[in-house]
Amino acid sequence: MQQNTAIKYKAIVMGGSAGSFSVVSKILSNINPDFKYPILICMHRLKHIRSGLVEGLRLKSNLPVIEPFDKENIEGGKVYLAPSNYHMFIEIDATISLSTEEVFNHSRPSIDYTFSSAATSFREKMVGILLTGANKDGAIGMKEVHARNGYTIVQDPATCDVQTMPNAALQLFKPNKLLSPQGITDFLNSL
Amino acid sequence: MINITYKEFLQELSKQTPYDFCEYSDNSIQRRIHRIIQESGLNLSQLIEKATSDAVFLERLVNDITVNTTELFRNQEMWENLFTKVLPKLKSKKNINVWHAGCSTGQEVYSNLILLNELDMLDKANVVASDINNRVVKTAKEGEYPFRFNAQYLETYNQLMSKIKPQAKPFEYYFDIDNENDKMKAKDFLSSNPKFVKHDLVAEEIPFYQKFDIIFCRNVLIYFNPELQVKIVRKFFDKLYDDGVLIIGSHEALHGFVKTHFVKNGMVYTKNNTFHLTYK
Repeated sequence: MQQNTAIKYKAIVMGGSAGSFSVVSKILSNINPDFKYPILICMHRLKHIRSGLVEGLRLKSNLPVIEPFDKENIEGGKVYLAPSNYHMFIEIDATISLSTEEVFNHSRPSIDYTFSSAATSFREKMVGILLTGANKDGAIGMKEVHARNGYTIVQDPATCDVQTMPNAALQLFKPNKLLSPQGITDFLNSL
Repeated sequence: MINITYKEFLQELSKQTPYDFCEYSDNSIQRRIHRIIQESGLNLSQLIEKATSDAVFLERLVNDITVNTTELFRNQEMWENLFTKVLPKLKSKKNINVWHAGCSTGQEVYSNLILLNELDMLDKANVVASDINNRVVKTAKEGEYPFRFNAQYLETYNQLMSKIKPQAKPFEYYFDIDNENDKMKAKDFLSSNPKFVKHDLVAEEIPFYQKFDIIFCRNVLIYFNPELQVKIVRKFFDKLYDDGVLIIGSHEALHGFVKTHFVKNGMVYTKNNTFHLTYK
């Protein structure tokens, strides 16, 4: 892939559930420290473990990891993790808004909500990445990213702890790429 | 009006009904309305027609648009802070005025009343609670909730009390639990204290003449756009006593000029009187 210095994307959006913590840590610990795009992450959390996720990622990440506050601006080179018990949406003006509305797909945060709001706001100027997970949340949102010409990557099910989430997406559309965690890291570092 | 946009829908609604959602945060309000359309099978023009001609339908619409998620003692660290730092400072006052703005079904009203009681301050508490949605106000007033669905309340309560007051009264002192009918209900001495009213923070003047020591407004501002958030927080500022506190949700923040007029400690924002508001 060619090095491209122009700003091609407004954001990278990632979603995952069971098994995704180690994948996300791996990606963030190997990402270029001067990575220029914002990375928005929506991960399901176990009900009884509400804290610790952000601290865990911070230990590994080459980029600052933030649990954003409502209406926070999205800035390049930072990682935004959907806070526990809130849905995370991306508004047209590239701010984050949070919501405590009903759980969706048994989840709050819901990955579908984050993806579909990002798809509406960023259209073709985003990369959507769906990781390992034990639930189909995220599949419909990724399909919307795809439908609006966003670049889509699904973690190769062969490399997933739990394949339910990527398989649900693969049934709905054909992503631009099917990659291993290492492949995803390399892809991001090539942007 | 055959094909109207959701913005036009909101404008029409605000013209023809008491409800103004025009300055709500885009993503959330759009999705709520989208869901109502899907579930009702009506389009936006039909929704307007029905909402303006059928009062019961209008209240149902408001119920569906607004978000009513709440829990007993949600964010324990905030309640811990309230119990150990905020409330003790008010102990010498003759009256303590509290407002739960956007109280939903009332769980936080009861959380606060329980802490006041554990500090022997319930007698001097004047608590008011308001919400735009008349259904949730009714539930809040009754203080009755499904039990099994909320069984974790008991655990949350014990966990919190073990930290802040190990000799606290048992949960059953505050709630009657009816396992057979799957209900829990706040005891009368709690539920008879607050005044519950239906009130729309956005469209109506604040209906209380008194100033407040504490205003709770948790996970309400997130549904408003930044300009509207500032307007509402400005109203809270004016309604707080000099050392009064505003308590917001765990991932909410104050924006704009009002931010400098409060001192933040976690979710608790204390009115800062070294500044005077000149902005109108």
